[in-house]
Amino acid sequence: MFTAYRWSIMHVQFLRMLPFAIATATIGYSSSASAAGTTAGTTISNTATASYTDPGGNTQTANSNQVDITVDELLDVSVATADPGPVPVSPGAINQVLSFTITNTGNGAEAFDLTATSAIGGDQFDPTTTSIVIDTNNNGAYDAGVDTVYTNGSNALTLTPDQSQRVFVLSTIPGGSADLDRGFLDLTAAARTGSGSAGTIFAGQGQGGGDAVVGSTGADGTDRGIYVVQSAAMTFIKSATVLDPFGGTKSVPGSIVTYTLVATVSGTGSLANLTIGDTVPANTTYQAGSLTFQGNGMTDAADADAGAFAGNAVSVQLGTVAGGQTRTVTFKVRID
Amino acid sequence: MRIFLTLLAILAPSMAFAANNVTLSSLVFVEKAVPDGAGRKHIVLEEPKSVMPGDRLVFILNYRNAGRLPASDFVVTNPLPAAVVYQGGAESAQVSIDGGRNWGTLPALRVLEPDGRWRSARAEDVTHLRWVLKQAIPAGAFGKLSFRGVVR
Repeated sequence: MFTAYRWSIMHVQFLRMLPFAIATATIGYSSSASAAGTTAGTTISNTATASYTDPGGNTQTANSNQVDITVDELLDVSVATADPGPVPVSPGAINQVLSFTITNTGNGAEAFDLTATSAIGGDQFDPTTTSIVIDTNNNGAYDAGVDTVYTNGSNALTLTPDQSQRVFVLSTIPGGSADLDRGFLDLTAAARTGSGSAGTIFAGQGQGGGDAVVGSTGADGTDRGIYVVQSAAMTFIKSATVLDPFGGTKSVPGSIVTYTLVATVSGTGSLANLTIGDTVPANTTYQAGSLTFQGNGMTDAADADAGAFAGNAVSVQLGTVAGGQTRTVTFKVRID
Repeated sequence: MRIFLTLLAILAPSMAFAANNVTLSSLVFVEKAVPDGAGRKHIVLEEPKSVMPGDRLVFILNYRNAGRLPASDFVVTNPLPAAVVYQGGAESAQVSIDGGRNWGTLPALRVLEPDGRWRSARAEDVTHLRWVLKQAIPAGAFGKLSFRGVVR
């Protein structure tokens, strides 16, 4: 009877304590696990120890059983374009690079399959993907022959929790694309263990022997890279003015002819390594030192300045000229 | 039977005070949200083999004085597994944030920040929990202690 009474006391204490505990515990839920959380396969072991004094005054201890729980693998991934904006390309260009960053946001080492898709609505052309390349040397830039080409199904990208990897997609731009045409390309990374709706369980397939569970990302991620065509065209106009020895404009022996060559680049792209060259016409003689480029005199020698006269022809290296800009070259000849 | 009784007689004097009379058992449950079919979810407790980061755990410690004599100065200590963040639920317990060297309540324990300032301890700082029962546990009595945690 005495014992039963004591038992009920203990019970009452417990029943009073537990609802109180649950009511206050809800406040504590604001803090959550870190980005990737505890690594998959970690064993959570719980043991408690009791100590007490027996009636003989001796201290006694008692250990509880040990509860072991394995941490499952959470399958999560994010894909993000690493380009600051649409990547400018030229029509017909090959190996045009889009950059992406793939991050394992799960808590276990996981292999990811990569897929590039370019058949997407809302753009003007479909780039043709020629390869997906892993930035093996992690320098953020595509290095042909150095970075490893990804082959679907054979060398999946394996990332540890929180690890990020730069990946490049190389494409060929269709030849017929016009200036400012855009082409979309979506890169998808999917956990090889499996993907799908959040909460999907792949029993026993987690790192460390637990289950693999699809996280909030669906265990796959996609982001879009954009190519934009920036093409340029050049128009070239040549004109001449004549000053005869008598102050008029007749073309007679001794007249000085000034040729003006105007190159105009149009479009949003630019033209590289532009050179203007012109052969001195027959029955005329080039006037030494008469070559100008953008109003500045050029020496005739092939030297540091952009202009030169050689082989009875003038030439000026214009370098790279952006769309909307004009370059003007003049030179003089005397009619023989 | 005679042999058994003889054995008992030999052991009895030493067991009388030295016997491990109090048993302690540890249970860990995980909260699972189960849809009830009416668009709501019920939280049920399951004994898991495995858990996910972010899972909410309920730790239960059952003690019982299985002996015939009372046990006094009863103290239960539960080191928190490293992968678990304390989430409250044990307001009657003392906590430690330094591996069990110092004990107290969260507001009473201080943590030195990297910038040299002191702040009150928070639940995520807890490394150990301890319950100190003021009254002796009578023979045959039992009780239950609990706390909550979340998987890091």
